[in-house]
Amino acid sequence: MSDIAVAALLAGTVLVASTISVEIGLSVALIELFLGVVVGNAFHLDVPSWLSFLGSFAGMLLTFQAGAEVDVPQFRREWKASLSIGLVSFFAPFAVVGLLTYYGLGWERRQAEIGGLALSTTSLAVVYAVLVETGLNRELVGKRLMSATFVTDIATVAGLTILFVKPTIWVVPFAVVSIALIAGLPAAAPWFFRRYGNRVIEPEVKLVFASLFLLMWLGGRANSQPALPAFILGLTMSGHYVQHRKEQERLRVVAFAFLTPFFFLKGGMSVSAGALWANLGVLAVLFVAKMVPKMAGVYPLARRYTAPHATFTTLLMSTGLTFGTITSLYGLNAGIIDRTKFSLLIAVVVLSAIVPTAIAQRFFHPHVVEPPLAPMPPARLESEVA
Amino acid sequence: MPFEKILVAIDGSECSDRAFDKAVELAVLAHARLTALGVEGPLPAYAATVGEVDEVKREKDSFFRALAAAARSRGEQAGIEVAIDVRPGHPAELIPRVAEEGRYDLIVLGHRGHFVRDRLLGSTADRVAEQAHCPVMIVR
Repeated sequence: MSDIAVAALLAGTVLVASTISVEIGLSVALIELFLGVVVGNAFHLDVPSWLSFLGSFAGMLLTFQAGAEVDVPQFRREWKASLSIGLVSFFAPFAVVGLLTYYGLGWERRQAEIGGLALSTTSLAVVYAVLVETGLNRELVGKRLMSATFVTDIATVAGLTILFVKPTIWVVPFAVVSIALIAGLPAAAPWFFRRYGNRVIEPEVKLVFASLFLLMWLGGRANSQPALPAFILGLTMSGHYVQHRKEQERLRVVAFAFLTPFFFLKGGMSVSAGALWANLGVLAVLFVAKMVPKMAGVYPLARRYTAPHATFTTLLMSTGLTFGTITSLYGLNAGIIDRTKFSLLIAVVVLSAIVPTAIAQRFFHPHVVEPPLAPMPPARLESEVA
Repeated sequence: MPFEKILVAIDGSECSDRAFDKAVELAVLAHARLTALGVEGPLPAYAATVGEVDEVKREKDSFFRALAAAARSRGEQAGIEVAIDVRPGHPAELIPRVAEEGRYDLIVLGHRGHFVRDRLLGSTADRVAEQAHCPVMIVR
């Protein structure tokens, strides 16, 4: 199939994914991932180079956005309580999955590290959606939970950047530029956005894109993964976006319309349905290896810090999606893991987004007291009013 | 007096518009208090970015603010004051719960909502009728 034929097929798939998402209320990313599996396996499509390029950049943009969506003042207030939950939530599954895949499944060390990282994540977005629906995002429990998720996220991106670095001389310019962007962009943004922003040609979006491409290029030359600087760059810009909602909205529009669909489609297309089918037992083992240490590690701390919703909190901390996908795709692109291992990791990541969330909502749904109904005057005929 | 407190579910669909009109007629005739419950529906499940959740929530809030204003205005035209209550959640679970909490004695709703998800687990109207503590009027 020619490049343009693949592009047309995928553009149609992205459109279908959006309409299904609206109709059935599921995240568009999850549907794109699923349709990517269907399209990739049904048409026996390999990921074309243009899709791989777009998907890699979209992954970087998702990492930046994840940083930009952190509520930094809230984290400052709750960091002590959240630090322990977030770190245990990262290290417990990282260690167990890493050791299990290395010693039990015979994966190589770097493959085991990718497995451990991919299955140690917690999905801030999945957690956030549930908290908003339950109203818990306004309560201390919800705020601690979101801060803990941030700690797990930053541990994941730090692991991704640090564990896989094979330093070259380019590490120096990579580090210098990263620090310069992290320090300089938030300082320059108000002036730049004031002078060039609010235009249909979107210089402010292009500024973010240029920064991320620069990090990707230098990260590549340094044999490193630029997830950590991209995440921290987003984090340092979060305060600016809080004050300039429209700018963040425009960045999201560009990301959701054109970039992130290709990231998730690429992830789905790289999954081998046959490999999954042939390794259902390993899939189950990996799923348990993610869930059990997460829950065993988080639950005692949740009882201390997020009572009376400890079980609910523990289940939500066991979810994962975006960073698990980013990590797995990095492993695949860098040639660290093969398609079978990638398929298994992605399947566990998706299962971990769905299963604990569904259990939490079905069996441990917290009943937050709703605000009282507005007082209701009796209905009166217009003539009586007069 | 047959009905003193009426709860009508609104979501902006044609069916819910017809249900709202019927509820206003009933409230006027029975001199009942009328509350329009805007059910925002669930947020995207298993979202990959906070942005997706945030934007959907913002769109829903904006849509239901406009819907609430329209409901008030239509109530005023009929000579009654309509109380508004907008909440996120699944309509089939939320409507009977709010009706019971608020001790309503009639629920009015359209027979079909906006989206396929409203019919995935059976009709919302059927499920509300099954679970409600009070009479339910389903408007076609």
